[in-house]
Amino acid sequence: MNFSWPKEYTDYRERVIEFAKKELNDDALIQRDHEGIFARDLWDKCGKFGIQGLGAPTRYGGSHEEVDILRAAYAMEGLGYGCKDVGLTIALNAHIWAVQMSITLFGTEEQKQKYLPKMASGEWIGAHALSEETSGSDVFNMKMTAEKVDGGYILNGEKRLVTLAPIADVAVAFANANPKVGKWGVTAFIVDKTMQGFECQPVQHKMGLRTVPLGRIKFNNCFVPEENRLGKEGAGFSISNHSLEYDRCCILAGKLGAMARQLDEAVAYAKSRQQYGQPIGNFQAVSHRIADMKLRLETSRLMLYKMAWLKKNDKPAMLEAAMLKLHLSEAYVASSLDAIRVHGGNGYLTDFGVERGLRDAVGGIIYAGTSDIQRNIIAKFLGL
Amino acid sequence: MTNTITTYIEKEILNSPDTQLTDQDDLLGSGLVDSMGLMRIIAFIEEEFGIAVPPTDMVIEHFMNIEAISNYVLKRQTIDG
Repeated sequence: MNFSWPKEYTDYRERVIEFAKKELNDDALIQRDHEGIFARDLWDKCGKFGIQGLGAPTRYGGSHEEVDILRAAYAMEGLGYGCKDVGLTIALNAHIWAVQMSITLFGTEEQKQKYLPKMASGEWIGAHALSEETSGSDVFNMKMTAEKVDGGYILNGEKRLVTLAPIADVAVAFANANPKVGKWGVTAFIVDKTMQGFECQPVQHKMGLRTVPLGRIKFNNCFVPEENRLGKEGAGFSISNHSLEYDRCCILAGKLGAMARQLDEAVAYAKSRQQYGQPIGNFQAVSHRIADMKLRLETSRLMLYKMAWLKKNDKPAMLEAAMLKLHLSEAYVASSLDAIRVHGGNGYLTDFGVERGLRDAVGGIIYAGTSDIQRNIIAKFLGL
Repeated sequence: MTNTITTYIEKEILNSPDTQLTDQDDLLGSGLVDSMGLMRIIAFIEEEFGIAVPPTDMVIEHFMNIEAISNYVLKRQTIDG
């Protein structure tokens, strides 16, 4: 057992934190959050730094020789700590792990050559098109079809709640190519904006994470050539499952960083804010709340690092991914509410930036598998 | 091998020791085994038979019934050495 990180990793994480603090925190965040604006300029800065490149090897434009999930998760924790725009970190992780990593893991050589360099540089934005109107938690019970035709497939259907959909250049989309075998016929396709019948819909407004656009993608008799099928026919379940494990690991790492920042801010406020002639941190009602925030942070951190280690070592991690997703996303909501309580009236004011944390946190207990679905997975693994 | 896999699925996945599966019973298409069940079966055969199941192999043709699973394990044992 060794809880220390290699210096190479800690040095890289420090560089990410420094970059994020210096380059990604602008004065426009509150306005962007209010209006639901995605910061493409900050996305491009991340591309130049190499953030998107974490999800591809250097031979395909990535920032390191091979994808290293431990390095990536640790770096994403740093990004979440340094960057106050949680929507941006969610956007980056959705793009890198759900889309880019699917191609890195399952793509043919031609697919990797064609798509990864543009995605790893940030030039192209990717979306993971899975959920539909009638298939949310029961996601593989989808209606979208892929009809086999000469030279490829015709896709028909509509995806919703797709992160980055309104501005996507490319999507990994899931459709059933063999409805007779139900979910086992679900197949993944790489669809890009050059293909007719691929229509990205406008932004849908939401409670939090407003700086990352969310929307629908329509596939209307969209012809996708055979060479753009990702993996085998029927591999949709595996592709989705594997990319989601990476996605959960690194999206949650970003949130872990945000929780660490939230804790630091709460401690600083509790030390500086005076009431009844003393810092409010002297009152146990406040200090115990902050102690609970610290406990949630550290338990989440241990679970995240274990999950990243399992993935790095190619070990099964479905149970650990479920436990991590459940614990960390619920912890983030609880700590965000505690952060508001610590900050009192100021915490409730939008301009103070604390209430945004709670709105951003709530999405995490819903998307990529609700907390209750995670409990189902855990119970199943216990044989219940 | 087939008996080991059958017993595991009957007892641990279906939670029904009285069920008697045949080698040809459709596990996935019939809904007897769901996606989480499949992940547990994969974890089991990896540990029990010392193989690694690559993500690209997690398709219906390898896991549709017990015969297919057994054949797949034999194939992986040959590949993995």
